[in-house]
Amino acid sequence: MTMEFKILDSIPDLTNLKSFTERYFSKRYITNVNGIKNNDIMIMFHSNRIALLSLAPSHFFFTKANDFKVNYSVGNVNRLRNSVKGKSKKGGQHLVPKSVVCKIEYDDGTSFDVPCCMKGTLVEVNEELVKNPKLLKECPDEDGYIAIILSSIAISEATKSEMLTHEEYLKVLDSFEIND
Amino acid sequence: MNDSKIIKLCKELGCCDTCCLRYIGLKSPAAYEEAKQFLVKYVRDKTEHANNVDPSTDQDETNPPEEIGPTAEQDKIEPADCANHSKEQDQTELADGVNQKTEQEAGSLQNDTEKTSCDRNGAESDEPPAKKQKTDSICVSCIGVLQEENWPQCYAMVKEVLDKKRYECDTFACALSAPIATMLRERYITLCLKEQFADYDADKLLTPLKEAWKWSFGAHLAAHVGITLDSGAVSPLLVTLNLEYPDDLQELEVLKTLSASLFESRSKQRQRFAVEFTRRSVEQALRGVTLARLRAQPAWEGGAPAPRAQARPVSVQAAHAPLYLGGRYIKLSRTLPQTPWLVNGLRMMHSSVQEIIFGPIARLYGMSPDETEYRLKFMSAGREDVDVRCLGDGRPFAVEVSDPQRTPTADELRRMCDEISEGEQVIVKSLVPVSREELAELKKGEETKCKTYEALCIKLSHTEDDELTANGDTAIRVTERDIANINSYRNSDSSRVLLSQRTPIRVLHRRPLLTRTRRILDLTAYPVAGHPQLFVVRLRTEAGTYVKEWAHGEAGRTRPRLQDALRARADILALDVASVDLPWPNTNTL
Ligand SMILES: [Zn+2]
Repeated sequence: MTMEFKILDSIPDLTNLKSFTERYFSKRYITNVNGIKNNDIMIMFHSNRIALLSLAPSHFFFTKANDFKVNYSVGNVNRLRNSVKGKSKKGGQHLVPKSVVCKIEYDDGTSFDVPCCMKGTLVEVNEELVKNPKLLKECPDEDGYIAIILSSIAISEATKSEMLTHEEYLKVLDSFEIND
Repeated sequence: MNDSKIIKLCKELGCCDTCCLRYIGLKSPAAYEEAKQFLVKYVRDKTEHANNVDPSTDQDETNPPEEIGPTAEQDKIEPADCANHSKEQDQTELADGVNQKTEQEAGSLQNDTEKTSCDRNGAESDEPPAKKQKTDSICVSCIGVLQEENWPQCYAMVKEVLDKKRYECDTFACALSAPIATMLRERYITLCLKEQFADYDADKLLTPLKEAWKWSFGAHLAAHVGITLDSGAVSPLLVTLNLEYPDDLQELEVLKTLSASLFESRSKQRQRFAVEFTRRSVEQALRGVTLARLRAQPAWEGGAPAPRAQARPVSVQAAHAPLYLGGRYIKLSRTLPQTPWLVNGLRMMHSSVQEIIFGPIARLYGMSPDETEYRLKFMSAGREDVDVRCLGDGRPFAVEVSDPQRTPTADELRRMCDEISEGEQVIVKSLVPVSREELAELKKGEETKCKTYEALCIKLSHTEDDELTANGDTAIRVTERDIANINSYRNSDSSRVLLSQRTPIRVLHRRPLLTRTRRILDLTAYPVAGHPQLFVVRLRTEAGTYVKEWAHGEAGRTRPRLQDALRARADILALDVASVDLPWPNTNTL
């Protein structure tokens, strides 16, 4: 048996490459949250029940050109001060579907809230968005993620099943366009 | 205080010859091999010595010889077919003579050791069995553990276990699990000795039951099983005998009165103390027990109660120290986890490196699948992901084989390697027995070793200085400048690249969220012919670096990332471990 193995043995089909989040996460969507048109949220679920919160591509945010900031200070809670200890992520801020994770504040004085849309423990917020908010617009499903949330397997599965799959989401968007 | 007096008192109390040796503090293993003969000679020597030196100092010293002598009863219970005993006639009689006094003074206690022994061996005794209570001969201290009558059954049980397991080992060590009541009884004897002889120091003198048992029973057992008795520190084969005494718990009940507070608090915590009488709890309880209080208990009014039955062997366990086989595995599959990958009890992949390596080892030892699960243990210097190959000289690993019958021969080890490698998913070139010390090196290596990786990567965006054509659909290509950028990239004076990595999301559900600093020690890139968008990076990293996360950046959770060196977005397509820098197992043995 020859023992010559090279990494070049492993060149995959390059026509159908998946991004990092496409490889490891399943994307779920919820539209018109709180009755606000195109207040559309995307949650990316890892198979290990870790979830990444972000804005869905159809969110009205992506149609507005104004400069903006991401503010993790909501109500009397500063999400940037969130800290978790140990394997069980003790001390993480508790989140419910209605919890506001951050606010997007425009230079024209308007703003909107980003709701969590699921129950869980806040593990991490994307501090990079404070320094470099345009990441949210440029790559919402990677560097522009808003927060990392940990929930139980049961909650994670239940939330996933209540939300739209990517295919369902695309259909819903189509029907909106027709209705409009 | 002198030894003869101690022996005399022990005999009066109902101790066997071997226990007498224990109470006088004899620590020479040879003495215990033939305790009876030794005791006779010892007492005689002591007495003669005392007579010669100063016969007048102690009246008792001159007494034993007067009491020693054959009695009518002695002749009767010494049948001719117990030839080995008659050979030692004089000494035996001497020992029983010491006992004779016991009989006279204590009245009820007699020594019918010889008779019991012969009866059990099927010899006809002209003594009617009912004439004496058999139990009278059971030692009140060791409950028969040290008395030879018990031993043939022990030999047979040990032999049965050893024959079944078929160890190829020419030494053994033995361990005893004795009835706990022996502790209580021992305490009583030492308290009596202390009462008579104020300077008797049991802590210093008393030879532990298990030591005396090893020196007496163990030595005889060795002859029966035909292998050499050695200490547990030397021999890898340990034989454990469990002796049980039917009245064990019942006898220990007295401690609940004598040490009420201790056992009350224990019974309150019943959950924690499923078993009330453990060696530990009894030892604790016995610390406060006095002779007066013990004698005040009904069962102990007339001294140590005669055991109703002898301690009997109920089980034997034999276990050989684990064997460790070391080697290095090469993993050629991208769909093979290192260990069985189970999600909610369901297997995610058809096999694993561990299972492929276990196969031939389990077959050699004839292990069933269940047995394999608890007798083989897989250890390695780190692990790679399911989809990562491990090439080069492979990754060091070891398999712990518990309770092995033998060490495989060089031929068998070679054949095992061939069988492992047959499926071409895992290649093991050699397997060698390794020591426990070497195993520690393997485990230590997990934290210290460096690894070299090769990663197949793709450039996903243009760099700022890529030349773009006007129509905007310029293909993304890895340029010479890109390769040069990676090859010259560094972000730290102390090492090539200093990374700050958060716990990867893929393990974040079961590990704490931390930010770790890791180093890339070397980093080189080269283009891939025929695939202009691809490039390969070869990097050497310190232990614990997450290379995939560095390559794709994990949404910025590892910084800097490959894209910082390339100056364009990048992702990883495939990863190989090219080498694990840990020379193990020791190359001399390979
Ligand atoms: Zn004894």
